[in-house]
Amino acid sequence: MTGGTKPAVELRALTKDFVVGLKDLRLRAVDQLSLRVECGEVFGLLGPNGSGKSTTIKLVLGLLRPSAGESEIFGVSSSRVEARAQVGYLPESPNFQRFLSGRELVSFYGRICGLAGVRLKSRVEQVLGWAGLTEAADRRVGTYSKGMLQRVGLAQALVHDPQLVILDEPTAGVDPLGAAAMADLIRQLKARGKTVVITSHLLAQVEDVCDRVAILDRGRLLLCAEVASLGNRAVASSPESLDENDRAELARWLSARGKSPGAVVAAQSRLDRIFIDEVRKNRSDSGSGSA
Amino acid sequence: MRRWPLGSRFGCFAIVKSRWRLFATVVAGLALGGAILTGLVVPQQTNREESGARLRESPGAGALFGWLGGFRALAADLLWLRMYAGWERRDLPGTQTLIRAVVAVDPRPAYFWINGARILAYDQPVWRIEAEGGFEAVPTERRRVIEVEQARLALRLLEEARGLRASTAAMWTEQANIELNKLGDIAAAAASFRRAWEQPAGPYYAARIYGELLRRLDRHREAYEWLCSLYPKLPPDDEAADAPLVLARIRELERMLAVPPAAAFRSGR
Amino acid sequence: MTTVPFSLTRVGLIAAVTLREAVRQKLVAGLALIACGFVLGVRALRDFNFGAPELKFIADFGDGVIAGFGAVLTIVLLAQLFFGELESRTALTLLAKPVWRSEFLLGKFCGVVAVVVVFCVLLTATLSVVLWQRESALRVEGFATLPAGVGFDPGALWVAAWLHIVRLTVLAAGMMLVACIAQTQLYAIIVGFSGFVVCHLQHVAQGVYSRAGSSAMAWVATLIGWMFPDFHLFTLEAGGAWTFEGVARLTVYGAGYAALALGLAVWVFRHREI
Repeated sequence: MTGGTKPAVELRALTKDFVVGLKDLRLRAVDQLSLRVECGEVFGLLGPNGSGKSTTIKLVLGLLRPSAGESEIFGVSSSRVEARAQVGYLPESPNFQRFLSGRELVSFYGRICGLAGVRLKSRVEQVLGWAGLTEAADRRVGTYSKGMLQRVGLAQALVHDPQLVILDEPTAGVDPLGAAAMADLIRQLKARGKTVVITSHLLAQVEDVCDRVAILDRGRLLLCAEVASLGNRAVASSPESLDENDRAELARWLSARGKSPGAVVAAQSRLDRIFIDEVRKNRSDSGSGSA
Repeated sequence: MRRWPLGSRFGCFAIVKSRWRLFATVVAGLALGGAILTGLVVPQQTNREESGARLRESPGAGALFGWLGGFRALAADLLWLRMYAGWERRDLPGTQTLIRAVVAVDPRPAYFWINGARILAYDQPVWRIEAEGGFEAVPTERRRVIEVEQARLALRLLEEARGLRASTAAMWTEQANIELNKLGDIAAAAASFRRAWEQPAGPYYAARIYGELLRRLDRHREAYEWLCSLYPKLPPDDEAADAPLVLARIRELERMLAVPPAAAFRSGR
Repeated sequence: MTTVPFSLTRVGLIAAVTLREAVRQKLVAGLALIACGFVLGVRALRDFNFGAPELKFIADFGDGVIAGFGAVLTIVLLAQLFFGELESRTALTLLAKPVWRSEFLLGKFCGVVAVVVVFCVLLTATLSVVLWQRESALRVEGFATLPAGVGFDPGALWVAAWLHIVRLTVLAAGMMLVACIAQTQLYAIIVGFSGFVVCHLQHVAQGVYSRAGSSAMAWVATLIGWMFPDFHLFTLEAGGAWTFEGVARLTVYGAGYAALALGLAVWVFRHREI
């Protein structure tokens, strides 16, 4: 079922409209979205608030029915229960049964996914260890901090060793240490051959770990490309890209004017810069073209 | 937001239609499934019409509350407690009203019918007579009228009971006692005692008293034959059956009817 | 492709978690305590000196408490657990697993029914103790022979408890259907209580409408009679007259309606957006 030629996630002209009131108003949250997430890659689904990221994820997971188009996970339609057998999902700002301990919660989800006996027990301890929750595992989830909730959410998402891991805003509200730990974990997952899909609007955190990103705005796909190719846009214009003679001449010119050679710093076209440009461009096009 | 024109696939009619389709499917599913279940499993209710009629007769909101399924037994009990409080105050109209309310709310327990009839037949004549001046002051004829009126109220109540629930030996016995003690109608009382004996688990004394009343009506031969057919059915070691008394009655009737010894009843014990 | 068949194990897991969540709710503990208090408080009836019929009053009172509080518990608890799961989005995490929507619904339903069973058993046990104590006291006071159908009949008491459980299970299934259709918890609770009243009163309405003479009203009454189970049927005759066949019929009737309502709830929930 996994690997082979089938992509981890494939969306074909996926569309989702929400009814708003009883009048003839519908909100189009996802608009003709087509993309593929290949096996083994870390894929970022980015966009401003309200761009349709979470709706797309819910459509992929079969929690919502598309108004049009198709969604598949490893070649299986998202509407089927089987499609979710190899998926681990961490929702945004996760909530769990507060009265269960961390261990009970992860064990519950592990049993739901078909684990049992010794395998369940060892797997629970393993993921709790990855999440750094071994010591707090016997405390009730209701006593956990936000960061701990995020980590126990990760543990329940990974307990059944899924091939596809979907993380919805995994670093929202998490401190820099937590975000760095999350990034490390994502790299480990990739190293083990897992496919990871991350949604986020915090691009700086995401660009270090993603192989490819797609940028959404108002339900539409604006851009889908490899992160490396996006970063190269700015590299050509940085001082580091000049040869040795040109760099020396630049340094002499700066010194003659009393400036330090390090005063010139290329304005790197970071992902957030690209993001902002693309979104603004899309909105101005929509604004000029609207009836 | 995008607007979609009326009548298009995404127009308001589509939205309203899908909601109504959901309700229609649920209603149709429940109705169809319910029709099958009700027809297959539950016997027809035979007294729904009577139930509706009694609801209209019952006073007060207590009746409506009382019809709420299992709560009606509780509501009837609570109304009975209210009636009891009125009984202690000798509130004649209030007691009568609440007795009727109780049996309207929950006609199932024989207890309410029997005790309601007792209150009407035995207690309320005393209240009325004392309200009119007491036993010394009220003339005998007037007392008799009051007792007959109340006795007929009680008998009407017991008759209504038979229309709403299965008769019991206790209800027939109560009727017989009222007919005998309050109306002095021996023939009616005899018939009621016989009906009591014929009910499931009918008491032995009812059969015995029926025989006794036949004697009082000078139907001696009938009484003799009745008691002779009854005696073999009486368990010898049951005090309530009082077999020796019945045998003594048989012997008295043999003397009265001059039954020859050869034809006398053989007890076989 | 690995198939994921419907699994009763998953239903049981969800039911177990639902039960644990339910017993932690103040609503459940509060209702159970108040109901027990009412049942114990009915001993005050001895002041009326009814004698043997006092046992009937105690049994009726206890029966009414179980029916009334049981209905409140079923309706409110199911609505709270269902909408709480949706609003806190714990349902999201669960349904993102290889879990059938019907497993989720049935698990929630079974968890609530488990609470109802415990509630009915607890209160019936309390009522049994009260009746047994009072009957013993009455015998000491001189009521050596209690009239037929008035004494403490433990068999009838537990048959009544079983019928309460069946009725409340039907109510829970109906409430699940309402919750799947409703968008808010308050709306679901109001509709649930309205349906409860219809189920209790419909045998009266049938009697009235059948005399109305209007065929339209008679058809409406018939339709309502089919859609809503008749809860009046689940009450024992006074004095505890019951037959095995009668109880079996009612159990099948109740199970049938519960299955019907749950089936429709599963169908509706499949279309519901989480």
